[in-house]
Amino acid sequence: MLRITLAQMRRSAGRLTAAGVAIVIGTAFVAATLLASGVITRMTYDSIAAQYGDADLVVGASEDAPLDVDALATTDGVAAVAPVTSTYAQLTDGARSVYQSVVPTADDRLMPLEVTEGGMPAGPDEIALPTDVAERLDVAVGDTVDVGRDVVGDDGSWQQVTETPTVVGLLDDPFGAYSQTGGAAVVDASTYTTWQTEARGEPAPVTEAAVVVADGADLSATRSALAGTIGGATSTDSSPWVVTTDERAAESAAELTDGQDLMFLVFVLTFAAIALVVAGLVIANTFQVLVAQRARTLALLRCVGADKAQVGRGVLVEAGILGLIASVAGVLLGTALGQAALWVAHAMDVPVPLPDTVTLTWQVVVIPVLVGTLVTVGAAVVPARVATRVAPLAALRPAASPSTSRRAGKVRPVLSLLAAVVGFALLGGGAALGTLGQEPTLGLLAGIAGGALSFVGVAVGAVFWLPKVAAAAGRLVGASGPTARLAAANTLRNPRRTATTSTALLIGVTLVAMMSTGAASARVSLTAALDEQFPVDVMVASTSWDADGAPAAIPADLRAELVAVDGVTAAVDVQDSVVAEPGGQRRLTAVDTGDARAVLNSPQRLDGLTEGTALVGSDVAGNLDDGDSLELTGPDGVVSLAVVLSDSASSSTFVTPADLARLDADVPASEVYLALDDDVDAVDAVGAIQDVVADSGESAQVTGIASQRAMFDQVIDTMLGIVLGLLAVAVVIALIGVANTLSLSVLERRRESATLRAIGLSRAQLRGMLAVEGLLIAGVGAVLGVVLGLVYGWAGAAAALGVMGDVTLSVPWRDVVLVLLVALLAGLVASVAPARTALKASPVEALATE
Amino acid sequence: MDTTVFVPVDDATGAAAPDATPAVRARALTKTYGRGQAQVHALDGVDVDFDAGRFTAIMGPSGSGKSTLMHLLAGLDSATSGQAFLGSTDVTALGDKALTRLRRDRVGFVFQQFNLLPMFTAEQNITLPVELAGGSVDRAWFDTLVTTLGLSQRLTHRPSELSGGQQQRVAIARALIAQPEVVFADEPTGNLDSRAGVEVLSFLRRSVRELGRTVIMVTHDPTAAAYADRVVLIADGRIAGEISDPTPEAVLAGLDALRSLEAPVAGTAADGGTRAGA
Repeated sequence: MLRITLAQMRRSAGRLTAAGVAIVIGTAFVAATLLASGVITRMTYDSIAAQYGDADLVVGASEDAPLDVDALATTDGVAAVAPVTSTYAQLTDGARSVYQSVVPTADDRLMPLEVTEGGMPAGPDEIALPTDVAERLDVAVGDTVDVGRDVVGDDGSWQQVTETPTVVGLLDDPFGAYSQTGGAAVVDASTYTTWQTEARGEPAPVTEAAVVVADGADLSATRSALAGTIGGATSTDSSPWVVTTDERAAESAAELTDGQDLMFLVFVLTFAAIALVVAGLVIANTFQVLVAQRARTLALLRCVGADKAQVGRGVLVEAGILGLIASVAGVLLGTALGQAALWVAHAMDVPVPLPDTVTLTWQVVVIPVLVGTLVTVGAAVVPARVATRVAPLAALRPAASPSTSRRAGKVRPVLSLLAAVVGFALLGGGAALGTLGQEPTLGLLAGIAGGALSFVGVAVGAVFWLPKVAAAAGRLVGASGPTARLAAANTLRNPRRTATTSTALLIGVTLVAMMSTGAASARVSLTAALDEQFPVDVMVASTSWDADGAPAAIPADLRAELVAVDGVTAAVDVQDSVVAEPGGQRRLTAVDTGDARAVLNSPQRLDGLTEGTALVGSDVAGNLDDGDSLELTGPDGVVSLAVVLSDSASSSTFVTPADLARLDADVPASEVYLALDDDVDAVDAVGAIQDVVADSGESAQVTGIASQRAMFDQVIDTMLGIVLGLLAVAVVIALIGVANTLSLSVLERRRESATLRAIGLSRAQLRGMLAVEGLLIAGVGAVLGVVLGLVYGWAGAAAALGVMGDVTLSVPWRDVVLVLLVALLAGLVASVAPARTALKASPVEALATE
Repeated sequence: MDTTVFVPVDDATGAAAPDATPAVRARALTKTYGRGQAQVHALDGVDVDFDAGRFTAIMGPSGSGKSTLMHLLAGLDSATSGQAFLGSTDVTALGDKALTRLRRDRVGFVFQQFNLLPMFTAEQNITLPVELAGGSVDRAWFDTLVTTLGLSQRLTHRPSELSGGQQQRVAIARALIAQPEVVFADEPTGNLDSRAGVEVLSFLRRSVRELGRTVIMVTHDPTAAAYADRVVLIADGRIAGEISDPTPEAVLAGLDALRSLEAPVAGTAADGGTRAGA
């Protein structure tokens, strides 16, 4: 039987190849994911190991019974010891500030950082900085930098002290030892000890130390000696302990990445699973067609004595062999891709230390092969059952065109309908909970459950409803002529096959559309929320105070320079003052309404502000009402203003500069709000503004909401890009499925194509017919997928973001159009190869008997 | 019948009724497959005329080249040398586009396997060639065809709901719908039981006698050939003779004569003008 199976596989090699490609891509995805996870673990390990420099051993203890570094240093065989420790300090130069991890100097062998310029600090007035931090602070070797750190005062309270050491060296972190903390600055070891002591009010306990074994000393002897010194074990199970650097790094890496890489794995493998489900659909389709085409051969086998089980087993064995070969190819492809990615990253000089080669573990090989083979065999189960139903008698009947039509059970339509209805109800409920009920967690849970359930219903029931949609679409295109009518009729002759093919595409497209819709809605909603929270792009506020404690005005020349910065489109002066009101004080913000409208992200926030009114934010409205009279008393007079309640939840009370002047004639414009051009890179523009402020020597703080928003946009874009990239794999597999289905259909319709040619179908018409078929199959899947994706994306956004206020449902037109175009184009391309095959059929074949 | 005559090869071209213009002609038509040692002459310089308005059967044993002859005449296959004319058009000189147009407008086909499109109804199958050509269906002609072929009650059925004979009648209607100059039928009864076969043959004959069409049929069944007005016998890629107004017995006798001719002395036997038939 195996011989027959292999012979059949050889005959159908071409047909199996396309299906195999689907599995190859799916398993390559899984293998690459596992490899990437391995690389991440490895990077974490390397980075941790790098922290210990060239240490041979690591000694550790608890805070209660800390290590005695001197005792360690005098132990036999020990060449050098350094405590493993780090602290943080605020590094400031002018307006720029960095919160930086700091480590002490140590023996060269225990210092993973490299000096690129200058040298290591040698006294309390010196510091070495990571090169990129120095760049950010705009300091060079020889400059000074403000270092702020917390110390405990005599009375036990926290104080910040600021020192101004000189930068003596610039550092590189070639092994990524401190990549997790963004590099590390270095201070002299004794200064470091002083810092730590001052921060705690007592000497800090050393809980971990790196040890270099002297040349010629025996590692295990030294290890035992150290264990004796600390009175501990040579494993970390108990404390204190002494272990080798490798052991320690492996252990911490495992601790550190335990949750992380699992998250990463689960995240990416979810997409791999989707890709494999789609691949499974493609496989199932292929085998269904193969079985139908082989009906006569199978019947013949039954005639000469094969029993049902043998026939069915033959199909499964075939699937197993195909799955195995394709999965192995997939692992090879995935590994090659992983390695290629590493090479590219190395060539591009990525600032993260990456391993040179991927690490092949048994999981990377075995898991994808196993999963890929199982998916393939699983997909062939139904076709195998169909094969067992081929009656021996079929061998004796005249060649009938193979029909895959078979009655569907009654359970399936009912169950899928039920799942869809319940699922969509849950989804709607989730959205309602999120928006109306303000229960995002519950809403999201209901939404996810509903979405998943309804999608299963939709996908499983596709075989019932999708052909009807295809029929309607077919009638639409059929009106355009006989070729299109032929194509439409062709897509409907095998409803099951068309449904499976379209469903494969539908799954991918739905998810892509859902993610982009969700992201677009999230972006719009969150942007609105941010506008509410941060009304302007950039705020520049004076931080120098006059003798009375009132903020100084922003100098006119600085203001002029700010307005001149590239990308700044408008500016408004802001005066802040606190005046008395009955029963308390009120903080007033005065802006010129005309200027302010040009600067505010939502100018309507100032609606109602005119001379004689006070626009009161709802947070400070108290029991004020629209039209109430607000009597304010300032140093220069008493003014009564009509209250206009603002819609926004702000804590500002806006008045006009003229009204404020009547209260207090002498309020400096201590803030300037700036608006940025939408087209400029907000991060750059805010940087330029910070530079202007820093260069002016004025003391002012720049708050760049715009850069925050740009970062936020970038995060969404990056996340969306990654997710869409991962989903694209599923779409690609589905498109392979479309091509596969078309070519299988064409092979099956050889005689028919020849007949059509014989009765007057031109070559162009035949090509056109197949193109329309491809377009129909792909188009139906893509359009339905986009519609479903929009619904899911909106429901998800409503459920998750409803709590943030009005959810704006937006359609990501660009993405939608792109997805549709790609799908339609792919449908068209998918028809090219089959059309070539079909055209090879000479009209003479219509006359052939067999 | 006394008129049934087995005419020798050299007279074949002149055997046409003098008043009829040939609808289809072959001149030195040759088709060879393979090269060198393996070369096979499927057709070896065939000259033959088929009259318009007549029902001609091409007969011969398996591998005699009768199907190849039909493929070349219909422009379905390309000739190695020689010419085939449909009316005054040299079919062998046409490109694919012109051939497609020719098949649409001037030629109809009836296949052994019926070759109806399973997803279309009988009516849609019949009108398909006209639609592919972008023309409109001549309803009067359609009604005539459907009535003549007895398909009025079957127009909305799909092929799977029709018997073999009915399917072949739909195929005949499809072949005739564009009012082609010639209908080529390739073993049209090969897949039918004898009753349905008789039915189909009668319809082919009626379409010639009553509707004035020209039908050229390839068959190896003497009974089927007997429905034709004229039988052209073919053997070893050459015209081996012909029988006018054949009866099954005459055709059988002709075939027998052919077999006896399959000898080194084929030329002499043909010379003899052997009378074959009762």
